[in-house]
Amino acid sequence: MRLSRAVLFLALAWGACPNVATAQIYIGRSVPHAGTVEVSGGGTFSGGYDLGSISADETRNTGTGSGPFVLFTATSRTKPALGLQGRLGVFVAQSASLEAGIQLARPILSSLLSGDAESAPDVTATETLTRLVVDGSLVLHLSGLSFAGGKGVPFVLGGGGYIRELHEKNEVIETGREYHAGAGLHLWFGQGKHRLGLRTDVGVSVRNGGADFSETKHTIPTAGISLAYLF
Amino acid sequence: MRATEAPSNRVRATETHGRTRKKRFATIVLTVALAGAASVPASAYLKLGTRIGTRTVTLKWSQMPIRYYVTDRGTTGVTSTQLQQAVSRSFSSWEAVPSAITSSEFAGFTLANPSPGDGATVIGFQNRPELDRTLGATSFMVDTTTGAILEADIFFNSAFPWSVAAQGEANTFDLESIALHEIGHLHGLAHSALGETELRSGGRRVIAAEAVMFPIAYATGNISGRTLKADDIAGIGDIYPAASFTRDTGSISGKVTKGGKGVLGAHVVAFDMRTKTLVGGFSLSDDGSFVIAGLDPGPHIVRVEPLDDGDVESFFDLTLDIDINFRPQFYDKIVVVPRGGGTSGVELKVVAK
Repeated sequence: MRLSRAVLFLALAWGACPNVATAQIYIGRSVPHAGTVEVSGGGTFSGGYDLGSISADETRNTGTGSGPFVLFTATSRTKPALGLQGRLGVFVAQSASLEAGIQLARPILSSLLSGDAESAPDVTATETLTRLVVDGSLVLHLSGLSFAGGKGVPFVLGGGGYIRELHEKNEVIETGREYHAGAGLHLWFGQGKHRLGLRTDVGVSVRNGGADFSETKHTIPTAGISLAYLF
Repeated sequence: MRATEAPSNRVRATETHGRTRKKRFATIVLTVALAGAASVPASAYLKLGTRIGTRTVTLKWSQMPIRYYVTDRGTTGVTSTQLQQAVSRSFSSWEAVPSAITSSEFAGFTLANPSPGDGATVIGFQNRPELDRTLGATSFMVDTTTGAILEADIFFNSAFPWSVAAQGEANTFDLESIALHEIGHLHGLAHSALGETELRSGGRRVIAAEAVMFPIAYATGNISGRTLKADDIAGIGDIYPAASFTRDTGSISGKVTKGGKGVLGAHVVAFDMRTKTLVGGFSLSDDGSFVIAGLDPGPHIVRVEPLDDGDVESFFDLTLDIDINFRPQFYDKIVVVPRGGGTSGVELKVVAK
């Protein structure tokens, strides 16, 4: 087979001339290939989202006005958060990998309390959540759009995950689901069989559940940057 | 007691709670539960209590079902049978609370009036024109050694116009609404402060309420009082807890302080951000401690306010030094209630008006 001969030839040449061959470029089975593994770890960003406005209502007496009597109003929001993430991907083909990820962040849930019927001063009540997202993605590596000699490889991804949010004191756990889609870029530092590189991605995540008491779906922007290792 | 528009100069909503007869020992005056310093947990709403030595014991029935008679006398627009049916529906409403275990049994009609001390729990109409602001009232006989309710009697004042019409009737008070309130007392609940009132010429009118146990009734023709609210449900569950009460609900506890000292009688409200329901409680000891139990798990907003000065008697014995001189305010943290547990350490620091 032509490829086998080439590999054999290069191996012999490398063995015969160890001071010359520096082996910066792996030439053998193309990398990545099915079975290639990518691990990455770094930082993540998830956008904030509004939880809407709710009111503390009392039932009105006849002849005292219309609609419920509003004791006060709470306008709530989950603030954007930075966090950490780790990913493990396994290539199932040269241009496709399945990936599992975990993200940890501590977003702040805030609620502006206003409009008090007895003139209590407005207050922003807060709580810090601990958010864990475990997700799975299908990643399509767009080798045809690679650049910088194949070191820059764009990709697109999509998948879903499980959200687990702990309230302060870790006594109450809320769970939810998320679905995400996005695009990103691998920038490999080399082209060897084992490669180190940077991975960046941006996307959107559609989420419901978790500590979100509004019980509606929210679409939030996400981004991440990681150090990746391919082997 | 359920009052109509209460006169501003004499709100007497707790008067009948004080009509306790002795069983074996000296007569004691029933007050609302001041249990913060006692072995009985003080929780949301208010529970009726009695002092036994240095302890405060929650008044409750020790045996179920609660057997009751209905006075075989109607009033204009309501027959005794309709009265019995309204009372039965009201008992059923309390018994339908899943986090509480209560039951009742209609023992029959009687010619007896609702009067404490005869050994029978009697519910009926009585013409009491001298009580020109009292729609109904509940009185008790209790075992002063245990706090067990032995007998409770409810009268509805037939000096007022009554109705049992399904959709209410103009210019008449809804009997089922008032019965639901009084039967809450009969079970051992005192008044809730979850409501707003306003002074008008000649009296105080309720603007809105979010508890059947609010002391002042809705206007004539209004049937909103037929439905138990979260505060009522938390209260009955606290007194007669089903397994689900301790398993599925939680509590918030803490202190209300002013200038570093505890505030007695502050009304603390927990607002469930998920269910959008309100449950109230009070700081019931000199150090300002409060507990609000029976809350659904999840995030809550906590707010504190003083009682309206005209309302203090509806909730507390006036011998107590209830502090109403502070401004309402919110707690600056979202408080998360765990299922089957409690969140403690909530300190509400209020300032004088």
